Amino acid sequence: MKPHPYIRYVIITIIFLLFGLAIIVQLVRINYTTYAKELIAKSEDYLGVNKTIYPARGTIYDRSGNILATNQIGYELGIDLKDVNDPESISFATASLLEDLDYVDIFEIANTEQHDMENRYYTISSYVSEGTILELERLEEAYALRRGETKSTKPNLDGLVWTPMQQRSYPEGILAANVLGFYNYFSRKTAQGVYGIEEAYNRLLTGKPKTIYVPNDPYLVEELPEINPGASLVLTIDREIQKMLEDTLAEAIDWSGAEGGTIIVADPETGEILGMASTPFFDPNAYWEYEETFPGITPYNRAVGSTYEPGSVFKIITMAAALDSGVVTPETTYVDSSGVYWVANTWPIYNWDGGAWGEQTMTGCMQYSLNVCLAHVAIDLLEEDLFYDYVQAFGFGRSTGIDLASEANYPLRLPDNNQWVVMDLATNSFGQGIAVTPIQMVAAVSAVANEGKMMLPHVVRSVVDQGQQYNVNTQVVNTPISAETSETLTQMLTYTLEEEASDALVEGYSVAGKTGTGDIPTEFGYTSELTNASFVGWGPSDDPKFVVYVWIEKPTISKWGSVVAAPVFHDVVEQLVVLMKIPPDDIRMGLTNE
Amino acid sequence: MKKSPLQAYKQAPWRIQLQWIGLFLLGLVLVASITGVYLSISAQAAATGRKIQFIENDIDEISNEIAVLTTNLASDRSTENMLNRARDLGFKLMNTNEAKYLEIPGYDPDTDLELAPPRVNIIGETPIIKSDYKYSIWDWFVKQFWYISDNTISSEGDYAP
Repeated sequence: MKPHPYIRYVIITIIFLLFGLAIIVQLVRINYTTYAKELIAKSEDYLGVNKTIYPARGTIYDRSGNILATNQIGYELGIDLKDVNDPESISFATASLLEDLDYVDIFEIANTEQHDMENRYYTISSYVSEGTILELERLEEAYALRRGETKSTKPNLDGLVWTPMQQRSYPEGILAANVLGFYNYFSRKTAQGVYGIEEAYNRLLTGKPKTIYVPNDPYLVEELPEINPGASLVLTIDREIQKMLEDTLAEAIDWSGAEGGTIIVADPETGEILGMASTPFFDPNAYWEYEETFPGITPYNRAVGSTYEPGSVFKIITMAAALDSGVVTPETTYVDSSGVYWVANTWPIYNWDGGAWGEQTMTGCMQYSLNVCLAHVAIDLLEEDLFYDYVQAFGFGRSTGIDLASEANYPLRLPDNNQWVVMDLATNSFGQGIAVTPIQMVAAVSAVANEGKMMLPHVVRSVVDQGQQYNVNTQVVNTPISAETSETLTQMLTYTLEEEASDALVEGYSVAGKTGTGDIPTEFGYTSELTNASFVGWGPSDDPKFVVYVWIEKPTISKWGSVVAAPVFHDVVEQLVVLMKIPPDDIRMGLTNE
Repeated sequence: MKKSPLQAYKQAPWRIQLQWIGLFLLGLVLVASITGVYLSISAQAAATGRKIQFIENDIDEISNEIAVLTTNLASDRSTENMLNRARDLGFKLMNTNEAKYLEIPGYDPDTDLELAPPRVNIIGETPIIKSDYKYSIWDWFVKQFWYISDNTISSEGDYAP
């Protein structure tokens, strides 16, 4: 029988068809085998990752452009269970290089069965230094050599992952730490600024993190969105002045045996804070030691976070009110015949020494810091309405609005309050029975030094965001007294310092100021022997460029502000005039006249 | 009965086969050409995509390096270090009696620090990756087609002096 003429073609066609069919069958089979799901899941691992891009946190500069806070590189150390095949080596390497990691804990993690794709990565340390990472890299190389020699798969560190990330750094260490606050970067998702500038400007400094999908497939690669770094801040703080204040405060605390203290230097014309020192000092680079440095209710920054009874420095406010309302002049006299002033014929007010000072002008009352005189002025001349109007106009009883976090405020007890008694008016007039923060005192006294205009105290001078600089405008908060009153009171307090040859005086410079010794109330009344010693002053008297506030808490060497705080003011101003390039009065007058 | 005219002759079978083979080969060449172009463009796109990924990694690394260098510089210029260096060089802190003051017209020691230009209106941002890298093969063909058409028209109608 003769074969079909195209039989060969038919056979070849059938073979090709069968071969194609086999390929199709195999393709279908692969997709439905038991391993298919596993393979598909594995392949998803390589498609891409969701990545959260955190913008670099903004830099903080002092007023001259010196960096106070910036970012450095640290590493997050984690274990990706997908790649682990030698948990012993991973545990050994990490536990031997990082003190706070325990071999057993790490082994438990590294030896965990990988149950699901989502929960297979474990962070074992949020911050590892570059040096430690270099050690790990060296160890990994050594393990690779050993594996090559022994033809074994162990030891190896596969699955141990380190990821670089920017972390906060404070190159000046403790300098201005109480102003800056700190950034708790250990947990990146919940990290935020704490206290000071870092908290007050947290949103600006942080910027906006963005989560994006980054495909590994080069065909799908897309332009990464541009993530703007957080805004940078230029502070009003001068690091030279800040350093001087912190050194001077540390010496003062040491010398006076005090519990703590604060010194503030401000520019009365603008409200800019040039320096703000507060104890205890703290290194924000080791912010996790916060609770050891600030146990219990210790404020992070006493200058804004602590209220206390200021004592006689508050007499400046009472006298400013009396002069401005016209109820007294510097020459108005008061006769202190017995050394006691009876409030409502019931409660006695005594002078600081318990003595009687005879006839005194208002200048004398301030010079000798006579409580009875100021109680008389407040009760008999100003009366409660006028007195408290002025006290509130000076900003007491409400926050100053300074751009630092955790500002404290103690509400005023006013005459319309049921608990208010006339004795409050008497004691308030010389700074007892009223609680203020140091920054409130600085803001109020700045009005006396600045022609009656009270400026908003602030710490940020400029904000640099997206390549543009925004300068912060100075703001007048209130004008509690007239320029004439301001000048008169400044002259009075310049004269009184010179007359009493105060330890606060600085050779060549005229300064105005007032001491304060505030008794500290206990649950049994004013029974403590300890006091709050303070001094507030400003200068040069004819054209004030600075206000300096010194508060030494519970000094043991002496209870008096004139003994403890006035010399500290002197030490500060003596260095401050050099740093601020303020010539002595005679030279300055000469230059001005020329 | 009227008869329709018959074809006088017929194509030889081998000629018809050749025509079919030629047609098939023409199709094959066309498909191969398109595939070649597609593969070439795809390879270029993949290489460019990879390059972009590397560049993005480089950007990350450079940002980290900048951060490290900035921190090191800030540490080297910290108050404590600068004071120590000044002391080592024989400088000491001055007191008020030692200062000499001169008036320098126009000098203001307290001018605002300028780290960036002052605020201006924000200009719209342009993407970094060129639109060419985002084209599909179809987009590319369309673009080439329009490009050729435009060139043809302009070469016919326009004259550049």
